[in-house]
Amino acid sequence: MDAFIQGFHQIANLSTIIWMSIGSIVGIILGALPGLTATMGIALMMPIAFQLPTATGIGLLLAVYCGAVSGASIPAILIGIPGNPNAIATVEDGLLMTKKGKAGEALGGAVVASFIGGIGSLIVLVLFSPLVARLTLAFGPAEKTTLALVGLVIIASVSGKNILKGLLMGAFGMALAFLGTDPFSNQLRIPFAKLLATTPLARGMDLTSALIGLFGISQVFFELSKPFEKTAKVDPIKIDKIFPSMRKLRDMWKIILSSLGIGTLIGAIPGTGASIAVFMAYNSAKSITENSKGKLEPLGTGTLEGVFAPEVANNAVTGGALIPALALGIPGDAATAVLIGALMVKGVTPGFHLFATNMSLVYAIFITMLLANIFMALFQLLGVRLYPKVLSVPQQILLPLILILSFIGAYAVAGQATAVGIFNLGIALFMGLVGYFLKKDNYPIAPIVLGLILGGMFEENFRRAVKLAGGNYLVFFTKPICLLFIGFSILSIALPAIKQRRERRK
Amino acid sequence: MKRTVLFLTSVLIILGLGTSLFAGGATETIYPDPEKNITVVVPHAAGGSTDLIFRALADEMKKASGVNFLVTNITGAGSATGANEVINSPADGYMFLGAGTHTTAATMQGLTSGYKDLDYVASLNWDPFIVAVRNDKPWKTFEELVKDAASRPGKISLGNAGMGGATGVASVGLNLAFSKSFNVTPFNGGADLIASVLGGHCDVGIFSQSEVVANSQSFRPLVILTDGHSSLASLASVPTLAEAGYPGITIPGGSFRSVMVKKGTSAEVKKWLADTVDKAFHSAAFEKFQKDNGLIPAFYKLDAFAEYDKTIIADYEVILKEAGLYAM
Repeated sequence: MDAFIQGFHQIANLSTIIWMSIGSIVGIILGALPGLTATMGIALMMPIAFQLPTATGIGLLLAVYCGAVSGASIPAILIGIPGNPNAIATVEDGLLMTKKGKAGEALGGAVVASFIGGIGSLIVLVLFSPLVARLTLAFGPAEKTTLALVGLVIIASVSGKNILKGLLMGAFGMALAFLGTDPFSNQLRIPFAKLLATTPLARGMDLTSALIGLFGISQVFFELSKPFEKTAKVDPIKIDKIFPSMRKLRDMWKIILSSLGIGTLIGAIPGTGASIAVFMAYNSAKSITENSKGKLEPLGTGTLEGVFAPEVANNAVTGGALIPALALGIPGDAATAVLIGALMVKGVTPGFHLFATNMSLVYAIFITMLLANIFMALFQLLGVRLYPKVLSVPQQILLPLILILSFIGAYAVAGQATAVGIFNLGIALFMGLVGYFLKKDNYPIAPIVLGLILGGMFEENFRRAVKLAGGNYLVFFTKPICLLFIGFSILSIALPAIKQRRERRK
Repeated sequence: MKRTVLFLTSVLIILGLGTSLFAGGATETIYPDPEKNITVVVPHAAGGSTDLIFRALADEMKKASGVNFLVTNITGAGSATGANEVINSPADGYMFLGAGTHTTAATMQGLTSGYKDLDYVASLNWDPFIVAVRNDKPWKTFEELVKDAASRPGKISLGNAGMGGATGVASVGLNLAFSKSFNVTPFNGGADLIASVLGGHCDVGIFSQSEVVANSQSFRPLVILTDGHSSLASLASVPTLAEAGYPGITIPGGSFRSVMVKKGTSAEVKKWLADTVDKAFHSAAFEKFQKDNGLIPAFYKLDAFAEYDKTIIADYEVILKEAGLYAM
């Protein structure tokens, strides 16, 4: 209890509150701008955090982190471009809701969902840190391979009507993910290897730039290819509803719980991340709604359920990723890696040591995490009535703006490496063209993203697991967690097929 | 059609604006211009051990010279992206690379023209590597581990934080020294390796000292891969290879850090930088920093540093060729 009070004292001052408010607003803005990620936001604020007392500095960074993860949903919902990879699964239903004139409800729902996700995972962090940390250690290369497999199976459910097209796109995404260098031998795996060896392509396809191209730039091309409409076609934005009703929340309890669990656990497993968690949560919500006997609306049609699932999950990742970071000193994702760095600069080494010797700081971090979530929700809600005004901007102004923001985002991904920045512009433009032609012919985009995210994780861990097992390819069938995941993958492919056949017979 | 043309022109204008912004003109002034920042490119992520060393150094260089030193982290491709950034910038002395064994390794793997296009300013220190296992594993000493590995070659896995990095080179070197009896497996960075050894998925790991200290409750350090003992109290008793019963084995058993600039930088600028590093390196604060973090000083300036680096390059060449990573 003493430690708790000491921890509380470390942050119970005006400077902490002010810095965290600033961090929260900066985070939301960065998150909402395409290409500017939570990791980058934290890195940007690092120099300021270094100058502040440890707890205040960490509070500032956590506020940026939570804000950025949640802010990414704003452009995803309003214009269909995720602010960063955390919001890729929010696009589908969020954008459809906006098209139905329910932008306010979608944005409000996303804030509530983010808050639930953030607080829920914080509770897990506070109560079960050591336990979950130990659980994540059970995830070795073999387990991660099969986890990626579970993720790849989701391709089927985000493919829309044509599974074949979805699989094709998934394979294309994986092929893109394999560009770069071989993770084992560092040999180049790119076309014209000699020529391109010292270009940024040697480090592979940059995910964020590719996403900006696929979602942002391709959308601009697509809109341009349609006949011009003199007046903005979106009906005057009236926002009558922001908060989801209590009844709706109650109906969605299964979705909330499963997304929370998925987000926290995936966040806690090092080497995974929010972009995987949101798709898994979306997929799980899909099967929950299908079995809800009409109580919940089906995903993919512009429903609150489809916004809630990924938004709970991505903010649950924040708390989840802090679990191994604080308990083991192992970052759960890229953003927490930078956070650990900030602690190290302050002379604090995370791990068992921290819990044993500096519990007051641990409590201070927990409390700032709570504050970070509260500030995030507050500032987001203040803006909910404001953001949809973007939609009343006429297309001839909005489209160039989106294009400029997309290019700025793609350029900024590389931070201060200007050569890489220019190169990423090329990637964004190229993927924009690819995305445009695919959209034109009704190929789904989401499977490419899944392939891009999971391709590298699958390949690397597959090879590592086989190497650790001395070349035994059957190693995946010898571990309980692997068997569980493999079984789950088979079932989630087989069950809908069986169901379909049964219905046809009837 | 008209709109397509319009659109393409606007894209070109945007791109044109972008490039012209970054092609700022350079003017002749006396070096160093106190109005300008000197950028320190750290090719690894903020908060990592390389980053911390160069941040501490930059602070002291600022104090010693009054010039503002700005650390920026440019990561990717091992450390090649950061090295390329320095190589692609003007040789005016306003940017230097946080170089070291990572630069040597990246150059030999053909990821950057690296040290061939860089000039030597000053070397700093070695961060020794430690071979450690989870403390419930059966091997109490390094000798027990080596004997067990020899009795069943390829069965005991020896993990590193990535083939192209310094731990990768050290693990391959170690494996060569013990007639390839280990199953050398690369992981995706230090954190991934720690998690895998803690989780029991990988038997043995090569770690930096801070990683072992942070997990001291779970790790059993077996041997330190440098000639001397650690200056850290908690690791001072970890034996060297010679003490563990294997004298005469030399492998680059740590990561080495240094300061390099783009080739073609004038001699006066290099001398000013080297002298400023000299002052910063020998400041009380930096000496304390090195001691607190168990770093072994290895300070050489300009030509003396170039000579010293030759020995590192020679060691690395043998190991990278053997590992099949050499692509120069």
